[in-house]
Formats: sequence, C-alpha cells, structure tokens
Amino acid sequence: MHKKLLILLLLVSILVTGCATATTQAPAATSIPPTPQTIILTSAPQTIIETVISEVVVTATPAPNPEAVIQGVEADAEIGFWTFWLSPTFDQYIKDTIARFNQAYPGVTVNWEDHQATFQDDLKASFAAGNAPDVINLSVSEGWVSDYASQGLLLSLDELVPQSVKDLYFPGLWNEQLIDGVNYQFPWYQGINVYLINHQLYDQTGLTIDDFPKNWTELPALCATIKEKTGTLCDIRLTVNDLISQMVYEGNVKPISDDGTSFTFDSAEAVAWLQQYVDMVTAGTVDKTVLVTDQDRVGLDLFTSGQAAFYATGPNLIREVRANNPGLYGYLGVVPAPVGKSGVIGKGLMSLSINAQTEYPNASIALAQFFTNPRSMLEFSKIVSIYPSTPDSYADPFFSAAPVAIEDSAKPFAEDAISKYADIVPTIPHKADVNAILLRYVQDALFNNVPAQQALTDAVAEANLLLP
Amino acid sequence: MSKKFSLTPYLFLTPALVVVAIFVLYPIFAVLYYSFTDYSIVTPPVWVGMKNYSWLIHDPIFWKSLGHSFIYLLVTPILIVLSVILAIVVNRKLPGIHAFRALFFIPVISGSIAVGIAWRLMLDRNGIINALLLSVGILKEPMQWLAEPSLTLPFCMALTIWLGVGYYMMIFLAGMQNIPEELYDSAMLDGCNSWQKHWFITISGLRPQITFVAVISSLAALQVFNEVFTITGGLGGLLQSAYTVVFYLWQQAFRLSHAGKASAIAMVLLLITLAFSMINIRLLERGTEAD
Repeated sequence: MHKKLLILLLLVSILVTGCATATTQAPAATSIPPTPQTIILTSAPQTIIETVISEVVVTATPAPNPEAVIQGVEADAEIGFWTFWLSPTFDQYIKDTIARFNQAYPGVTVNWEDHQATFQDDLKASFAAGNAPDVINLSVSEGWVSDYASQGLLLSLDELVPQSVKDLYFPGLWNEQLIDGVNYQFPWYQGINVYLINHQLYDQTGLTIDDFPKNWTELPALCATIKEKTGTLCDIRLTVNDLISQMVYEGNVKPISDDGTSFTFDSAEAVAWLQQYVDMVTAGTVDKTVLVTDQDRVGLDLFTSGQAAFYATGPNLIREVRANNPGLYGYLGVVPAPVGKSGVIGKGLMSLSINAQTEYPNASIALAQFFTNPRSMLEFSKIVSIYPSTPDSYADPFFSAAPVAIEDSAKPFAEDAISKYADIVPTIPHKADVNAILLRYVQDALFNNVPAQQALTDAVAEANLLLP
Repeated sequence: MSKKFSLTPYLFLTPALVVVAIFVLYPIFAVLYYSFTDYSIVTPPVWVGMKNYSWLIHDPIFWKSLGHSFIYLLVTPILIVLSVILAIVVNRKLPGIHAFRALFFIPVISGSIAVGIAWRLMLDRNGIINALLLSVGILKEPMQWLAEPSLTLPFCMALTIWLGVGYYMMIFLAGMQNIPEELYDSAMLDGCNSWQKHWFITISGLRPQITFVAVISSLAALQVFNEVFTITGGLGGLLQSAYTVVFYLWQQAFRLSHAGKASAIAMVLLLITLAFSMINIRLLERGTEAD
C-alpha cells in the first residue's frame, strides 16, 4: 500500500514538473496574461492540491515612453554632457538619469563629465578646439547663457522644441536670458534665494529671525548692528561677473536706453544702489574681500567657518555647511532673501543649453529636456534642496509634506516663488566688457573715495564707446 | 679645399628642432598673427591690423600692470641677497645641517598654487597672522590684509621670494663647492675677518651664479602669475593693485575672451623679456671675460 502511494506521488510530481516546464517554454507569441491553473488530483487515501502559475513571456511592441517627447533623435548619436560642480555628490543621480534616458531614447550614448572651478576655462578651450560638449550646464544667475548665446555658440531652441514641451516649464524661466527675444536654454534646477542665519552670532544682536530685513535697503542697518554687537563683518557679495544684473534687481536700475544707443546705469537709482555699498564699506561693516570676490565659495566658506552672521545662498548649499562644519548646522536658520527695489524676487539658477555646432541636435535636445523634465527634476529635488523648473513636479506629495530638515524649509513656498522668477535685465551688448568697466569704477567708488555719481558717469562714458 | 658636407649632425638635431618648432616657434608666430586680429578664442579671428596695439598704448590698466611687473623685479636683488646669505649659513659642517637645507628647499617643491592658498588663508581676516598680532596686542581688531591695495603686491612678492629662496640657495651652495678652500686659508693668514672672507672670496667666486640667478629670476618676475592669482583669489587685488602684465593678459584672454588683445600684450611682453635676456646675457659675458 505504501509502495503504491509512493509511486502515485512520484508520478504526480513528475506530471506537475512536466507541466511547469512545458508552460515556461511555451512560445511567447500572444499577450495572454498569466493564468492560475488549479489542478486537483484525487487519490486514496489523500487529496493533493497544487496551484501552478502558467507564465507566458510576451514580446509585445513597447508602449511609447512618456518621457520620450523629442522626435527625430538621431540613431547611434554620441553626445557629450558637461555639468558644473555636481560630482561626486550626485554621481548616482546623474548616472541613473542617463540610464533612464537610454531607455527612453535607445541607441544614444551619453559621455558625461563634471567640471568644477575651471569650468569656464575648460569650456572656452573646448569651443576653441572644436570639441565642445553637446549639452552644457550653464549658470543663468551668473549670466553665462547670454554670454555664450550672444557669441553664437548656443543652439536656438524656439523653433526646435515643440510648444507642448515648452509648456512643461514655468514661463518666466523658459523666457530667461533671451538674446534678441530668442531662448537658448532649458531651465534646470532652481534655488530659492534665502539667507542662512548663524544663530550663534545673529542672536547676540538681540534681534529675532522675524526682524531680519525684508527689504534690501535695510541691510546696512543690520550690518552696523552686527558689527557693534558681535565684532564680525557682514558676508555680503557683489555679483562681480554680472554687476548690471545686480543693479537691476536690487536697485531697479535701467541699464540701457530703449533704443540701445547708450548706457544709463549712472541714473539716480544706480547712484543710490552703489552708495549703499559705499556706505557699508566706509562704515567698515562688510568683509571687503568677500564683497568683490568672483567666487561664491569664498563667501560660503566664511559663513561655514562660523564667522559670519548670515549669507545669501540657496538651501541646496546647506549641505556644505553640514559637511564642513556640523557644529554650525544645528544653529542654522533660514529666511527669505530681502527683496530689492525692483520687487522681483529673483531669477533662475541653472540651465542646460545645446552647443550650436552639435552633430546631434535632436539627441542633445532630448537629453537636455530629459534632465529637466518633471520626473527628473522631482527625483533631483528629493536628494538635495533644489527646486524644479517644471510646475508638474510640485504636484508630488513630497512638496506638500511638512518640512522636517532645515534644508526643506523653503519647500512650502518654493512653487510660488519660482513661478514668479523673471529675467528683467535687457540684452546688454558687449556685456563682459561693460561689466569689467563697471567693476573697475565701482571699485573706485568703494575703495578709492571716488564719489558714486562720478564713478558711474565715468563708467557709462567708457562703456558707451563700445556701442556703435 | 672645401669642407665635406655631412648630414649626420642635422639628423641628430632634427628631433629637437621639430619639438622647438611645434611647441615654441609655431605658438610665437600664431600669437603674433592673433595680435593683429579680433579673436575671442571661441570664434574665428578677424584681421584688424594695428588696432590691438593702438588699444594697448591707450589702455591705462596695461600701463599700470606693466608698472607692477617692473616693481616686481625688486624680488630679484632680494632673492639674491637672501639666497647667498642662506647658502653661506648652511654651507657648514654642523650636525643636522642637511635637515636645514632640506627645510629651506621645501617651499620649492610645494608648488606655488598650494603655497599661495596657504598664504591666503594665513592672511585672511580670521587667519593666523591676525590671531598672532591680536594675541600680542599689536592689533586691536583683525586686519583685512588682502583688502589693502597697498599691501597686495608686496604680499605677492614676498610669496615669490619665499618660494624661490630655497632653489637659488641650492644654486649658490653648488657654486660655493667650487671655490677652493685654499683661498679662505690664505685670506685667514692675511688677517681677513669672516665678513671680508665672504665679501672678497665667496661673493666674487659666486659671480657666475649671481648673474645666472639674476637672469632667470628677473625673467620669472616679469612673468609672474600664480602668486597674484592665488593671493588675490583671481581678482588681481582691489583697485587692480596686483595686476601684472601676465595677469592682465590672462584676464583679457580668459575672462573677457579678447585673445587678440591678449596676444598683443604677449608680444609686448616677449619684446621686453627678450631685451632683458640680451642685457643679462651681455652682463654675463662681460663678467666671464673679466674673470
């Protein structure tokens, strides 16, 4: 009896194994979903119930990838992609996004490089050598897009990008840094203009965080208080590579006449703007080396070392404070940046542009668009406190969740703030030269006792020589 | 009787000539050409004739930079004096003297960028210099050393001296090994004191090395860049206080994308350094003839 039962069980197991093998080897010709089959075998003295999942491997035509929104991507394209100061912290994100890009646009090879302090020099050298990357991470806030676009080095996107794709971005960001009304950049990650507060110093002034200036014109009084109460200097930086832009946002200065025939940054508004900085230098309340450095890191390092009460930056750079001075991290506060006289709270931070000489314009546009699409932006936001340029990203619960870490404190108002970002600086001919002239005369006013009005009048006279 | 032509020496010279042609002559002629063009590095050059040189003549910043470069030449005599003194000091058979020689040489192998950054940190408002001066009561509040236009260039020059003194010391030390010991013995017998021995024997014996150091250090001073860049954080000092010719050249080429103007500056600098080299070589020859 036992023998018979054993033989029966053996037969049943052979039968079951055979069925399973047969089903997994079945040709995948149809799109039949996996079907559970229940086989009931009855035999004395017991009943054995086996459930077998019969799987069918399907090779159906893949559905269109919703992220593949650019048509006509060149087959077997190989494109270079340069980022600015993202490695090694974000290596995994970049690599993962490129891998996802390869799924959306199979056959495109992306050669990614990250360049840091020498980014601009490397990029210029590569343009000169004719091997510039196809997709380039350019700073909007430093004016790089307009610099390169005005030299004819970037690809105009208006005609090549479908309207449905343009509509994915905040209009104010898509229309930033236009050159003669033409756009040359996909808006990438954005920063919220905030001031980081070092409570260890700031609280010595007797002020609360609610007392922090809401308007840019209130900063000198705060700096005077900080110096008086703490003996430290204000860590304020002029954007020396784009002074005109700073004049426009902070001082509501009109830099050039409507017909573009003369510069006008010697107006009463411009003088008032410069005078505010002159007064702070004269009062000895600002760090002069930080004031005119062209490296944001110089100011950030001073703040990170715990020797400044506040610093204007983005929440994304709180990670630098946490990494380099964990002791200070616990004393950080974040306040929205004071608004300048223009009333516009800010402009974009980073963008992706395309080399005008690219061999693969569609593949390059596809990559730039892919990195700036709502999903990529959202995933980037989740690993660092940057903010998407795409409204759809903000629909994710990540942005509606209450902030936990200080890095996230701008999340609740980020969408509203970024939706109002706008570039209000008109196209400036010979911008780098004009800026260099202006910087020279601004320094004369700041450090050489030249009256602000005279410095700016001289600067305008010299800059006007550059105009036709 | 005519000399027989031999191809062999030319074959031996060819590799070196090819290297010089590619890496020296071609760049010089390319820069000469670019100096007559409007060239932004990233776009093709456009011929503009003498426009860049005309601009240079009327550019006050260029003249200011040139003036700073000539002021920078002061490092040469200081370097020579300090290096000779150091060489005399370490040219003794004392316990541990090799360690001192090595210590003096360390800045040479440290690299100007790294040392420049270190100096910048030391001179920072919160750096060690201020900390020391505050602790001994010389300062009441921290100084912004690098924000003082009158001090920026001297700091750069001090850095150049600090970086170079060990290297030149070694040259003088090597030169001193060739001065016969008998000369010092005779001087001693003649009643010379220590100062007179060094003045009449050591300094005289080192004349070829002094001329050599004068040539190379003055050429290096005219071409200084790293020290200015690192000490001033790439700004060139407040009010262009540390602009030198090469710094201004770099700024024109890589900050303002005016490679044509930068090339014109480079050609002027080439002429100045050529003139300096010729004067120095002439002095060297005269010194050798006198010997």
